[in-house]
Amino acid sequence: MDELRKRAKELLESKTISVVIGYEEGTCNRTRALFVEKPEEASKLIFDSRCVLNLATYITKQEVKAKGKMAIAATIPVMRSIIQLAYEFQVSDKNLLVLGITPESNLMEFKDLLEVETYIHKFEIEINASYREKLDKLAGMTQTERWKFWIDELSPCFKCYACRAACPMCYCHRCTVDFNQPQWIPVPSHELGNLEWHIMRAVHLMGRCIDCDGCANACPLGIPINLLNKRLLEDAKRHFGGYQPVLKGDHLMSTFKPDDKENFIR
Amino acid sequence: MSKIGVFVCHCGENISATVDCAKVAETAAGYDGVVYSIDYKYMCSDPGQSLIKSAIIEKGLTGVVVASCSPRMHEPTFRKACAEAGLNPYMCEMANLREHCSWVHEKGDATTEKAIDLVRILVEKVKKNHSLNAIKVPVTKTALVIGGGIAGIQASLDIANSGHKVILIERDPSIGGHMSQLSETFPTLDCSQCILTPRMVEVAQHENITLYTYAELESLEGFVGNFKAKIRRKSKSLDEKICTGCGQCTTKCPVKKIPSEFNEGLGKRTAIYVPFPQAVPNKPVIDRVNCTYYIKGKCKVCEIVCPTKAIRFDQEDTIVEAEVGAIVVATGFTVKQPDFFPEYGFGKYPDVITGLQFERLASASGPTLGEIRRPSDGKVPEKIVFIACAGSRDPAKGIPYCSKICCMYIAKHAMLYQHKVHGGKSYVFYMDIRAGGKMYEEFVRRAIEDDGVNYIRGRVSRIYEKNGKLIVKGADTLLGAMPVDIDADMVVLATAGIANEGSEELAQKLHTSYDSYHFFSEAHPKLKPVETNTAGIFLAGACQSPKDIPESVAMASGAAVKVACLFSQDELTREPLIAVVNRQAAPVFSSCVGCFLCVSACPYQAIEKEEIKNRTGEVIKTIAKVNPGLCQGCGTCVAFCRTKSIDIQGYTHEEMYSEVMALLNEY
Repeated sequence: MDELRKRAKELLESKTISVVIGYEEGTCNRTRALFVEKPEEASKLIFDSRCVLNLATYITKQEVKAKGKMAIAATIPVMRSIIQLAYEFQVSDKNLLVLGITPESNLMEFKDLLEVETYIHKFEIEINASYREKLDKLAGMTQTERWKFWIDELSPCFKCYACRAACPMCYCHRCTVDFNQPQWIPVPSHELGNLEWHIMRAVHLMGRCIDCDGCANACPLGIPINLLNKRLLEDAKRHFGGYQPVLKGDHLMSTFKPDDKENFIR
Repeated sequence: MSKIGVFVCHCGENISATVDCAKVAETAAGYDGVVYSIDYKYMCSDPGQSLIKSAIIEKGLTGVVVASCSPRMHEPTFRKACAEAGLNPYMCEMANLREHCSWVHEKGDATTEKAIDLVRILVEKVKKNHSLNAIKVPVTKTALVIGGGIAGIQASLDIANSGHKVILIERDPSIGGHMSQLSETFPTLDCSQCILTPRMVEVAQHENITLYTYAELESLEGFVGNFKAKIRRKSKSLDEKICTGCGQCTTKCPVKKIPSEFNEGLGKRTAIYVPFPQAVPNKPVIDRVNCTYYIKGKCKVCEIVCPTKAIRFDQEDTIVEAEVGAIVVATGFTVKQPDFFPEYGFGKYPDVITGLQFERLASASGPTLGEIRRPSDGKVPEKIVFIACAGSRDPAKGIPYCSKICCMYIAKHAMLYQHKVHGGKSYVFYMDIRAGGKMYEEFVRRAIEDDGVNYIRGRVSRIYEKNGKLIVKGADTLLGAMPVDIDADMVVLATAGIANEGSEELAQKLHTSYDSYHFFSEAHPKLKPVETNTAGIFLAGACQSPKDIPESVAMASGAAVKVACLFSQDELTREPLIAVVNRQAAPVFSSCVGCFLCVSACPYQAIEKEEIKNRTGEVIKTIAKVNPGLCQGCGTCVAFCRTKSIDIQGYTHEEMYSEVMALLNEY
């Protein structure tokens, strides 16, 4: 990724960009996010197959935004997140430059978000074979079995909110679960409260989640919470012909159209 | 500390017959914060209301729970009573012990228990209630009337005569609508045009009415009292100011064989045309689809013959922007057209026609100048068959409803036929005769008894041609379903009245609801028949469901009164039960993150962007803002907001939560 380092250095030197967000070598053979503000630090940037953290999570943070115009090393899932965030007015061309990383690990700089949108639309959001198998298994269960599956999976959750912290779409300043006047969703870790929290989160991500698996990767207990999101993505595909983040257009969950098949809504 | 008063109403015996009202009052008296609790026979009566008022004053109540009927019924009554005693009206809540409890359950302890629960949740809610003040919004005192049929004309004249400005738009080149096409009108047989045309002229000459014909609504924004309408004035290819309406162009136009819409295809018109001689305005338009110049690029005969040089071939559509305070939708209806009745050969046999076509044949201004002559060869039919319910009341055809006007106009048609064709024989196939209305039943009897129209109760299965006659195969169900074959010369189908073309699109532009038949929906089938669910938009005439002339006119006047009421004040007072985006202290300002997904969720386009600026004018945060004039308090945005940043005033999260908890917690 010499290209990326070179470009980051140039951008910082020319002062067109204040901070470049990328990956660096972390501890225990893992990678972590790096915020490059000085040109000489650009050499720390790396990119390889271990870099799966969704960096788009950082571009909505006030402390990062406050640094000035951001550039971000973005893989396809990150670019999808960026487009959805732009749709929700959280980032724009004014404060973000996308340094795309193609599936072949080549640098691809985008002039603006419109170009990013066009580029990502070449790739369908697809659920891979191993998850496919898990989803089919879940779908094949009876309601009681499925209920037991989720109770068993979610009971250990102690609400560390790592899933929320890893999710680029969880940028709200106040999460529903933090809303405590009144406290609709119980905070203590118990079966019902855990179930409510995760289902609520999945529903809030419907039509917004771009399936980066960040939440499941972040979970210290390895709870497959992303299965909920994947199932909703499937539903979106079945009922509305799929979902791709767009810069402008209709949001899946809030748009009613005359030709929707649900006649009752008319 | 809250001081709550609970007032349990017996509603005569409506509640007390199954609920132990004294026990409800007694139990409520024991709740935290309840300082006064009483039951009374009629809480809505004057002494009942006095009970509430004096308790507010004497006990210093901070909240009131009236446990009686539905809030739909008496919420305004009790809130007003509270306000008169100095309590904010929104600190008064109603527990619905009648519709939700006593009427639907049998007498017993469980029923009383439920009543106690209903009271308890409201007691807990009232403790969390906040004082609210009515919202004031300014009113633009101009009305927009869409549709220039009899309903639109009546509504426009009534509003204009009450001293307010009216903009009347009509899609066709002339106002008048279906009524101008009719021959005589039931039940008095007075000439339709004779009573209509003076009103049309009055519209054109009224100083308060601006008339735009050949115009359609392009878009609508805004809210009650403050709508912004864009009106598309389709190009007439003519300078109306110069044109004198002399008619030279229409006589000289070489394209003469276009089926006339006004004559329902039974007559012909030219490409530059005035729909009918009494049209208002009486100035022609060029039908660009059929005009030789627009098709082939040459002709311009009309331009050559025009003595005032008023023809403008390059004229373009113009958009007029208008600010209006209220809207009356009077877009009318249409009738089912060919292809819908293959079994009756409609469209295949020229002598099978619709009721509206018969009107044109019977009309003195029609293609036959009022003589009943059949379209195929112009012969006077000696036997004529009328078929009622062609499409209507036929779930298999997708029109389960009754079109309402057909029974009466068929009687009229048969009568007119008998008056005009002496010795002719007329038959009517019907399912039921629905003649509800003043002098209506008498009118039908007159057709049967005095004019000798043969009424046959039964359906027609098929019509086919044989030896130049139309064989109508039916059955007489009053004679044991005996088959009846009639060799008719002409058949008239009373085809179903259906929603007008484009009504669905118009409803969407107006953001009002419509039913599964695409008729506009009224706000309440009984108590709000002319209102729509969108404040400031009213309905008149057959756009809501098929209607006859008296009904359309009555509805139009009703809508006009609603508009006049709206315009009678300079400011509108609205209930403050609307959505509000929270605001907090800096540096948060609001928990809203400005994702604006609520914008598309809002069915009323009530959500806007609000920029929060610092003292130097720099935008710090952009958040959602609910326009209080537009918001209807439906709560969709509340459910949609991930951060729970929106509350409905009077139904806040806290208030709802306390209700739920009151129900779940053991007392």
